[in-house]
Amino acid sequence: MAVGMAVVLSACGGAEEAVKVKDTLVVGQGADAKTLDPHATNDQPSSRVAVQIYSQLVETDKDMNIVPGLAESWKSLDDKTTQFVLRKGVKFHNGEELKASDVKFTLEAMIASPTVAHIVSAIDSVDIVDEYTVNVITKEPFGPLLYHLTHTAASILNEKAVKAAGDAYGQQPVGTGPYQFVDWAVGDRITLKAFDDYYGGKQAIPNVVFRNIPEGTNRAIALETGEIDIGYDLEPIDKDTVRNKENLALVEEESFSVAYLGFNTQKAPFDNVKVRQAISYAINADDIVEAVLMGAGAPSSSPIGPKVFGYNPEIDRYQQNFDKARELLAEAGLPDGFKTTIWTNDNPTRVQIAQVLQAQLRQIGIDMSIEVVEWGAFLDGTSRGNHDMFILGWVTVTGDADYGLYALFNSATHGGAGNRSFYSNAEVDQLLNQARTSIDAAERKELYGKVQVILQNEVPTFSIYDQYQNIGIQKNVLGFSMAPAGHHKLRGVSFAG
Amino acid sequence: MSQEMTLDPIQGQLEKEPAPEIVAKAAPKKRSQWLEVWSRLKRDKMAMLGLVIITIVVLAAIFADFIADYETVVIAQNLSDRLQGPSAQYWLGTDEFGRDIFARIIHGTRVSLMVGVLSVAIAIVLGGGLGAVAGYYGGKLDNVIMRVMDIFLAVPSILLAIAIVSALGANLMNLMFAIAISSVPTYARVVRASVLTIRDQEFIEAARAIGASDFRIIFRHIIPNCLSPVIVQGALGVAGAILSTAGLSFIGLGIQPPEPEWGAMLAGGRQYLRHAWHVTTFPGLTIMITILALNLLGDGLRDALDPRLKH
Amino acid sequence: MHRFILKRLLLLIPVLLGVSLLVFAIMSFTPGDPAQLILGENAPAEAVAELREEMGLNDPFVLRYAHFVGNAVTGDLGQSYTSGRDVFDEIFSRFPNTLILAALGVLIAVVIGIPIGIISATRQYSMIDSGSMIFALLGVSMPNFWLGLMMILLFAVNLGWVPSGGYSSWSSLIMPAITLGTGSAAIITRMTRSSMLEVIRQDYIRTARAKGVAENVVINRHALKNALIPVITVIGLQFGMLLGGAVLTETVFSWPGVGRMMVDAIRQKDTPTVLGAVVFLATTFSLVNLFVDLLYGFVDPRIKSQYA
Repeated sequence: MAVGMAVVLSACGGAEEAVKVKDTLVVGQGADAKTLDPHATNDQPSSRVAVQIYSQLVETDKDMNIVPGLAESWKSLDDKTTQFVLRKGVKFHNGEELKASDVKFTLEAMIASPTVAHIVSAIDSVDIVDEYTVNVITKEPFGPLLYHLTHTAASILNEKAVKAAGDAYGQQPVGTGPYQFVDWAVGDRITLKAFDDYYGGKQAIPNVVFRNIPEGTNRAIALETGEIDIGYDLEPIDKDTVRNKENLALVEEESFSVAYLGFNTQKAPFDNVKVRQAISYAINADDIVEAVLMGAGAPSSSPIGPKVFGYNPEIDRYQQNFDKARELLAEAGLPDGFKTTIWTNDNPTRVQIAQVLQAQLRQIGIDMSIEVVEWGAFLDGTSRGNHDMFILGWVTVTGDADYGLYALFNSATHGGAGNRSFYSNAEVDQLLNQARTSIDAAERKELYGKVQVILQNEVPTFSIYDQYQNIGIQKNVLGFSMAPAGHHKLRGVSFAG
Repeated sequence: MSQEMTLDPIQGQLEKEPAPEIVAKAAPKKRSQWLEVWSRLKRDKMAMLGLVIITIVVLAAIFADFIADYETVVIAQNLSDRLQGPSAQYWLGTDEFGRDIFARIIHGTRVSLMVGVLSVAIAIVLGGGLGAVAGYYGGKLDNVIMRVMDIFLAVPSILLAIAIVSALGANLMNLMFAIAISSVPTYARVVRASVLTIRDQEFIEAARAIGASDFRIIFRHIIPNCLSPVIVQGALGVAGAILSTAGLSFIGLGIQPPEPEWGAMLAGGRQYLRHAWHVTTFPGLTIMITILALNLLGDGLRDALDPRLKH
Repeated sequence: MHRFILKRLLLLIPVLLGVSLLVFAIMSFTPGDPAQLILGENAPAEAVAELREEMGLNDPFVLRYAHFVGNAVTGDLGQSYTSGRDVFDEIFSRFPNTLILAALGVLIAVVIGIPIGIISATRQYSMIDSGSMIFALLGVSMPNFWLGLMMILLFAVNLGWVPSGGYSSWSSLIMPAITLGTGSAAIITRMTRSSMLEVIRQDYIRTARAKGVAENVVINRHALKNALIPVITVIGLQFGMLLGGAVLTETVFSWPGVGRMMVDAIRQKDTPTVLGAVVFLATTFSLVNLFVDLLYGFVDPRIKSQYA
């Protein structure tokens, strides 16, 4: 539909438009990148730029299947060893050719970097077989290995370029991706240009600019005024405006992101599962999705989104039922409710969710005050267990259940490592470990399915909704597709006409 | 600019303190002096307009509960009625949770006035005290105090605000404290300047001669005689504090929801600016009119307190 | 004169030391762990511990502060925790943006503020006086992010005259500069008015009038020069303050300035960047004030003699 419209439009305006050929794609996002060294950061704005500059060994397609990237093929030699055969003739932006030694260098550097080591912590060693073949050996059998290698942090770097640049590498990145780095006006924009020797062919659009536009409203405005061609993460309220403008289109899709309400399960009264269930019955997630997100999400029943490998679609979600909730509270010995606090950071969406929750919990006598906590203090406090309840989101970046469930619910990851509800359940631990070390996809799926059933019953965290991500786009931009993890690849995008 | 908060929020008004010699000319406190000030103020139409508006705001704060119930109207959500325009039922429309904006503005007077007045009061007590001591004793002590004030002036108030809020939590009290701290140096300077001109006057020497203690001299004789610049600065400071709160709300450091506070209402509604204009417009206008009134009154007071501007 | 300047510069040293110590203490003792913030919300505890060690965050406070001062004296403000860039480079890549915006903002404020202030003072209590004072007061009374958003809607969206944000061309400067300038204009108007009022009442003006000198000559030649002294102070203060960056305006207009950088750094607990920015801004602010004080000397020779 959008494409059809674009063709019609460009046919109408063809006469004038033909004179000036648009050669730059401008993308607006909510923050500037921090560094373009994929091993030095793991934040979304940086990844969104880096993903245009780099390539990974393997990638995922739209249906989350693993497809070849820099590796043209791979196979398991035994349950701990995976052998990758690299594409030949792949060029880095500095003219060097991709070799097995770069892969070894990259993965070893990753393991040594505290920022991203956790993504490849399963890897024991990387052996070079020949110039284009490399073996990756894990400590234990590790099911999600390929998914982890699709992470933007696992982008393959050029050993020579990294060593030559030293500390400044983050400002002069060199990759094998479709676009190469040109210039960075700090805080304002990053300019990239198409890489002539990209192994997938040179891109149709010569230049790409990433602009930093912190306010959502301004991104929508910039789309309308034509200052940007693609605007990431529009405010829910602006969606209709974009949808209704004839030259703009709204792309909205499921993502890997789930917003959840966490309980400190080691603190009374949340150590009582009945209290957690009572709260779950008091919540109306549809209201939240409707009022806060304007429909940009789906009430959830699992800590991982439906697109993630291992998602269990057969779990019922809690339906609001105040009688049931009061009953459970009474059984827990708190018939009149109690006073508590909820922590959130200053993310406006989360603050709004907190306000709706506040009003809903008031109905069953729970007097919940909202504390908006600075992000640093929030991470600090929740990793120490100073909180009662909190709102947070989780993006299962790798698209594999392990990345979400293990960190959030294993008793080994209490606190800062992800399990901020301090949940401990021996059975869950055992299932998660078993699923992680299995390399049989069907078995893993079943194990994760079981974990999600237990979690939905015990609610250490209440999954509020699966978040949709939206993007506003000029209709003359063709071939754009979303990545559920949020770092969309601009490869293959072109202008109409 | 006051609301940008990068430095002292009311620094822009710093230089508007009456020049020291004005204070020097002021006689020791007398009832008739204040009556005279009032009669001068009464003649200033603009200042009276400001006073009337502020009186209305104060009355709204006092009688807020009679106008709208807090539990059932001000904070109760009505999600089916969200973002409605002004109507007979909702005079100024509803916000993103379907709450009556008029009721929230009325109750917001309490919060905003409290933040404004208390933060200025804290700043006056701390800053005024330090300034008085510095000015009265002079010498090394003066130097140390004023250098410390310089340091505080150089630390961006937004940093202080974020630091206080992240260390102590985001609530009304801490917010007021954060705003107060950053204007302490201003009051210290204002009071010190006044004290410097007063401390060597004959009536102070007289008090000293009859054996009054330093404490007594400072509190009975000096402070009452530097009140005028502090009052003027204070009226403007309340305005600055309300704007600072709005600014802090904008960067997410506002007060705890669901408390209605004008700045938070304005900042929170900014994403709806284009779709539901009333959500930001009415709190914005309320802030603007209140600040305007405070400024009018402050300017009027300054003119009235300045004997050289007598007609 | 030289001694005066030297003395003022020397006074800067203890202030800068105090400021940096205070900021360092605030950054160190408020909750929030830079290592955790860099690694994100799902980093394993060991990784955080390892990074803390690597960043030297486990060293005693005094040692870290001494280290900072030692490096700062040699002009090395360290590297940003988050981007790894030299703090000095980072500040200087953004400072020109802030400088040009502040300069233009103050220019707009002066062009609007001084004439209105003069007109208003010469016709005290007239309609023009009341009208322009209300106009001026509206400037300070308006939350400026609101003003900024309204301007974007009108001039960028509806009329399409200027870009809605970012810094791509000269036209990008117009709206942010006006937003910044409005508040300053109001303050300068008020200062000009009250300063003029004071001067006009002085004897020499009365004498000039009595001698039959034309009113515009009285105002322009005799009154204005003296009335401008306090106004210059305010202009200097406003300029210094706008140089500190204007977080809200920068946010609304997606402007890559120092203010926004500092706020982001504070929230990321990026101590080197915050320290660098605060020290840099405090220095700039003091230098602007010093310059203003020196400027007095040219406006009013009596003051110059005090410098000796």
